[in-house]
Amino acid sequence: MSALAEANALLFAEAAALDERRWEDWLALFTEDCLYHVPAWRDEVTPTTDPRTEISIIHCAGRAQLAERVQRITGGRSVASLPPPRTAHVVGNVMLVEASDAALRVKSVWASHVFNVKRQDQHVFFSRVEHTLVRQDSAWRIARRHALLLNDRLPTMLDIYSL
Amino acid sequence: MRRADIAGLVDDRPADGVFRVHADAFRSRQVFDLEMATIFEGGWCFAGLDCQVPNPHDFFTTRIGRQPVVVQRGGDGVVRAFLNACRHKGALVCHLQQGNARTHTCQYHGWAYDSAGANVGIKLLRQGEYTPAFHAESHDLHAARCENYRGFLFVSLNPDVPPLAKHLGDMATFLDLIADQSPDGMELLPGTVTYTYRANWKFQVENTGDVYHFTSTHPSYIDVLAGRKAKDGAGADTTTYARFREKELVRGSMCFAHGHSAMWGSNPTPEARPLYASLDEVSARVGEARARWMLYVRNITVFPNVQFAENASLQMRVIRPLAPHLTEMTGYCLAAKGESPAARERRIRQYEEFFNPSGLATPDDTTAYEDCQAGMQAGRIDWHQGYMRGMAVVQQGGDRYAGELGITPQTSAHGGFEMGDETIFHGPYRYWRDRLVAGA
Repeated sequence: MSALAEANALLFAEAAALDERRWEDWLALFTEDCLYHVPAWRDEVTPTTDPRTEISIIHCAGRAQLAERVQRITGGRSVASLPPPRTAHVVGNVMLVEASDAALRVKSVWASHVFNVKRQDQHVFFSRVEHTLVRQDSAWRIARRHALLLNDRLPTMLDIYSL
Repeated sequence: MRRADIAGLVDDRPADGVFRVHADAFRSRQVFDLEMATIFEGGWCFAGLDCQVPNPHDFFTTRIGRQPVVVQRGGDGVVRAFLNACRHKGALVCHLQQGNARTHTCQYHGWAYDSAGANVGIKLLRQGEYTPAFHAESHDLHAARCENYRGFLFVSLNPDVPPLAKHLGDMATFLDLIADQSPDGMELLPGTVTYTYRANWKFQVENTGDVYHFTSTHPSYIDVLAGRKAKDGAGADTTTYARFREKELVRGSMCFAHGHSAMWGSNPTPEARPLYASLDEVSARVGEARARWMLYVRNITVFPNVQFAENASLQMRVIRPLAPHLTEMTGYCLAAKGESPAARERRIRQYEEFFNPSGLATPDDTTAYEDCQAGMQAGRIDWHQGYMRGMAVVQQGGDRYAGELGITPQTSAHGGFEMGDETIFHGPYRYWRDRLVAGA
């Protein structure tokens, strides 16, 4: 399989794990020391770039922090997380930006359709995403997921399944 | 609405030990329109911070009530506010959230205004065959009142309001507790997050002072902190809430004239605050008592539209009501200038985790407001029972804790963390009622 096909397969696997709420499978796609980052915007055209000095919408350093979110989503103790929304993630425009045997840098566009069953309300979050994939144990894993959320006026809330 | 109907929305009988608010306060379109006209467009509202317009001709745009406003520092250094609407046809003249501009030229018919809002050009004026009546009118952008208290900018669309200092009264001390955290002042960190929720704006006013909800609304957040502590030991005491059950905690509230309110509580983990590292310097500058209060949990509402929540981190949030059942919120992270890079990063992570609508706590608050708004369609829930905790201990004037700050609120109450005082809502609703009745 070509590097592009392998990148596609991983991105689709990520989207499917989110849509099917297979959280352990989703977590397993990330490296232990991954960075999951959704920057905020400084103004109409400029996203923040340095999470040490500027605000992010989500900044999770390491898989353990992603696992905390999964625990909150599945634990039944967050009124915002229940009942679960139904989601359909559409991944497109996948492009290989850099490729070596050890790492791939992949750009894509995500449209994440979220249906809030309790409110009978739906929303599409759209973002430009950049993944850095590294090879671990002969499989690609996500070392960095950077999602630039373009419609950042959030209806009530946003979580990892909205991106 | 008749005045008696509005006054009847608040059942305020202290002698009987009763305080209730009617559900129509949250669901009536007539009430909402009156709130906009009398409270948001008829009095002082928070607009932004002086540090957002540091240089001549810097501006930001906002809304006061429903109306578009530009706040701008003129070439003379004075910060002014004016309506963002061309005098010709009402088009917006300023299109950006923030920026620097010596002039604003309307892109419809080309009328131009300087950075003080004065008209400096009407396209083809001479050729326009205008009447003397036209020339007799002002063509400047409509001015609004704008005053600055220690870097906090307030705007009133109604020129006939008391001076800002009088409006703030002793509530100003709680703004001092923010402004004085660094000898160099405070700064706004880049990156804001805006969200909407489908419920009334006053749920946000209440929730910020609501101690009672914390353990039942945020168990998932508490679980996350407990999980980190189990894994990392004491090293995980990274937020104010990490050990909130472990020590005897005093929680109190104060209500001030003009609807302002403050919830406060002693802090079990002051060392988690970025400010802790500079405590000696701060104490020397503002005194031991105020320095200690800076490390306390303090959630305040400067009525009606700005809140400062200093618990896990320091958030400034601006409330913009859009409809009886729809509210927009914008959150900003405030920080003391000059803090260490490590303290700054910790502040930001705590901020995002607790305050963001994409974090581990705020979505549960906003979802609860929406559940209130939905549940309130049940007609028989007309009178809420959510305003009477703490009524047995609330006192007129200041308690000894207010004395530490040298201020005199209208009412004060204090007790343990589990008292979950609700008298903090009384002052805002009394003022709300009085303003609506006067404006009806």
